[in-house]
Amino acid sequence: MAQITLKNLGKMFPPDVVAVADVNLTIGDGEFFVLLGPSGCGKSTTLRMIAGLEEATSGDILVDGRRVNDDDPADRDLAIVFQNYALYPHMTVAENLAFGLKLRKVAPTEITSRTAATSRMLGIEPLLKRKPRELSGGQQQRVALGRALVRQPKAFLFDEPLSNLDAKLRATMRTELIKLHQSLGATIVHVTHDQVEAMTMGQRICIMKDGHVVQVGPPMEVYRNPADTFVAGFLASPPMNLLDARVVDHAGGLAVALGEARLAVPGAFNGAYGAWRDRDVVFGIRPEDMHDGAGPGGRTPLDVRVVAVEALGPEVVLVAALADGREIHARLGPGFVAPIGSQQRLHLDLGAMHLFDRETRKAIAQRGTG
Amino acid sequence: MGGAVRWRGLLAHGVAALFCAAILLPLLWLVRVALTDKLTAYKLPPEWVTPRLHNFVEIFTDYPFLTYFINSVVVAAGSTAVALPLAAMMAYAFARYDTGGLPLRLFVLSSQMLPPVILVLPLFALFLWAQLLNTWFALIIAHLTISLPFLSWLLVAFFQGDVRLLEQAARIDGATRFQAFLKVTLPVTAPGLLSAGLLAFILSWNEFLFVLILSGPQTNTLPVGLSAFQTQRGVELALLSAATLVAIAPVFVLLPFMRRYLIKGLSLGALK
Ligand SMILES: Nc1ncnc2c1ncn2[C@@H]1O[C@H](COP(=O)(O)OP(=O)(O)O)[C@@H](O)[C@H]1O
Ligand SMILES: [Mg+2]
Repeated sequence: MAQITLKNLGKMFPPDVVAVADVNLTIGDGEFFVLLGPSGCGKSTTLRMIAGLEEATSGDILVDGRRVNDDDPADRDLAIVFQNYALYPHMTVAENLAFGLKLRKVAPTEITSRTAATSRMLGIEPLLKRKPRELSGGQQQRVALGRALVRQPKAFLFDEPLSNLDAKLRATMRTELIKLHQSLGATIVHVTHDQVEAMTMGQRICIMKDGHVVQVGPPMEVYRNPADTFVAGFLASPPMNLLDARVVDHAGGLAVALGEARLAVPGAFNGAYGAWRDRDVVFGIRPEDMHDGAGPGGRTPLDVRVVAVEALGPEVVLVAALADGREIHARLGPGFVAPIGSQQRLHLDLGAMHLFDRETRKAIAQRGTG
Repeated sequence: MGGAVRWRGLLAHGVAALFCAAILLPLLWLVRVALTDKLTAYKLPPEWVTPRLHNFVEIFTDYPFLTYFINSVVVAAGSTAVALPLAAMMAYAFARYDTGGLPLRLFVLSSQMLPPVILVLPLFALFLWAQLLNTWFALIIAHLTISLPFLSWLLVAFFQGDVRLLEQAARIDGATRFQAFLKVTLPVTAPGLLSAGLLAFILSWNEFLFVLILSGPQTNTLPVGLSAFQTQRGVELALLSAATLVAIAPVFVLLPFMRRYLIKGLSLGALK
């Protein structure tokens, strides 16, 4: 198992596509690390540079402190699972598993025992004699995983391996990969554009955008303290509500001016937000921090018009419009009902609010002198 | 609505039937003439006689048809055996390393755009100087000027496809570039290579101009040899038909294979 360090890593495709720009990361030994970002943000390119399939145009890649930039992919001893599996079509499942071991001159008896153990663990024993084209998507996925596992490499690189599976199988495989990581204690770099995958699987997640790292941290920490509006709007579904607003004086303290509405800022934030008085900001609040009842107190009312009520079973997502027509999402209890077009009063938990600089889109610290 | 669909189906079948007839009728005519004797061959409207195979015997006994046939096999197989590995290497270099970039690729293609007659005269002069005229060797080289550029252009597509990712998987699994090529790329693209090889074989088999200029009686291949049937005692229509049928038989035997492998090669079906 290994630690992977990326220093000022960059990749430019001629003539001028900057796929990855100045990425600095340290992936700990035995860590389940997730690279998350929208399609085209440079996740795969980053992973392929680690694997040695793309040459870095700048920066260093270190495995256990040793620079591997110039090493052949074969010598890096990493395993990759591709999105479309890339199983060798002319070999049986057993041959696919054994291929890497044979190339590395592992003794035949050990190849047999390792192949057997891996296929038992993944439940693919009955498939060993089949060719990849005779397997379902889920089975191919397992074989691809097996081909990586059987090699016992220094680290595993997963490039969206679950994205071609149907929703149910994807959920099962998420759990299996988490279990697998726990039992092996392996270093895993998992690339995905699916924020649920990132939140549930990653010990730490790294959110990328346009080739840059935007934020790194444990999922819940990133969730609670998004570094900018991009992260805030990317995690969770529905994501954080983001509304252009201003900070104004209000009743001896501060308030967020949202059209005609004034949302009084909790006193604890006054110090930090004071500097933003009369300036343009983005107001952020998560759907679950809005309620349909006043609760035990301390909540701030906001009047909205009901646009749609989406009953999901365990919860209801209310799509509502502010007085000026801007839409927000709120997650309410399963009992919530309201006619479309009716007026409703939501109660906001402003202790969980966020403010972002309208220009730089970066989060404004809630405490301290920000 | 159903009626319209049926009419369109009928129309499509009608066009297809006409098309088939246009291709098949001359061939069927050829079969008929090849099975008649020399005199009935000329009769119009056609007269039906008991089909006989003597024409097929005669072309082998009274004419050097067997020599032509052997020449054709040697030249076609020889040029294919040289062209296929060379073209595969060239195409691989184009596909993987972009060797020479677009200019080199276009240059290779441009050699295909020259009328063959422009190439044949310098080749004649060269072979004359090297004393290679009227040899198999000269014909094989001449046919390479056709098949090598054509194949290397055709095969680029095979190496650019999904097999690239498989090769990368193999590299990660611990294979060197050469091992990845040998153990993954080659077996996976084999159907494509095979169909390209068959295509090169057929190209050489049917080639006329180079053989006409560069070879003599001992090394003539079938297309030129067949033209000889027209000159000795007028046009020996029945003999010519029989010879033509034997000459095109290999093409007909090979075509179904080529079709199957070409389709298989183009849709490797490796990834999904
Ligand atoms: N071989 C390539 N040549 C040119 N541009 C590329 C190549 N591979 C990727 N890119 C570009 O680099 C960017 C990042 O791609 P990628 O790493 O595949 O994104 P992701 O995996 O996050 O979807 C994209 O803009 C993509 O178009
Ligand atoms: Mg990708």
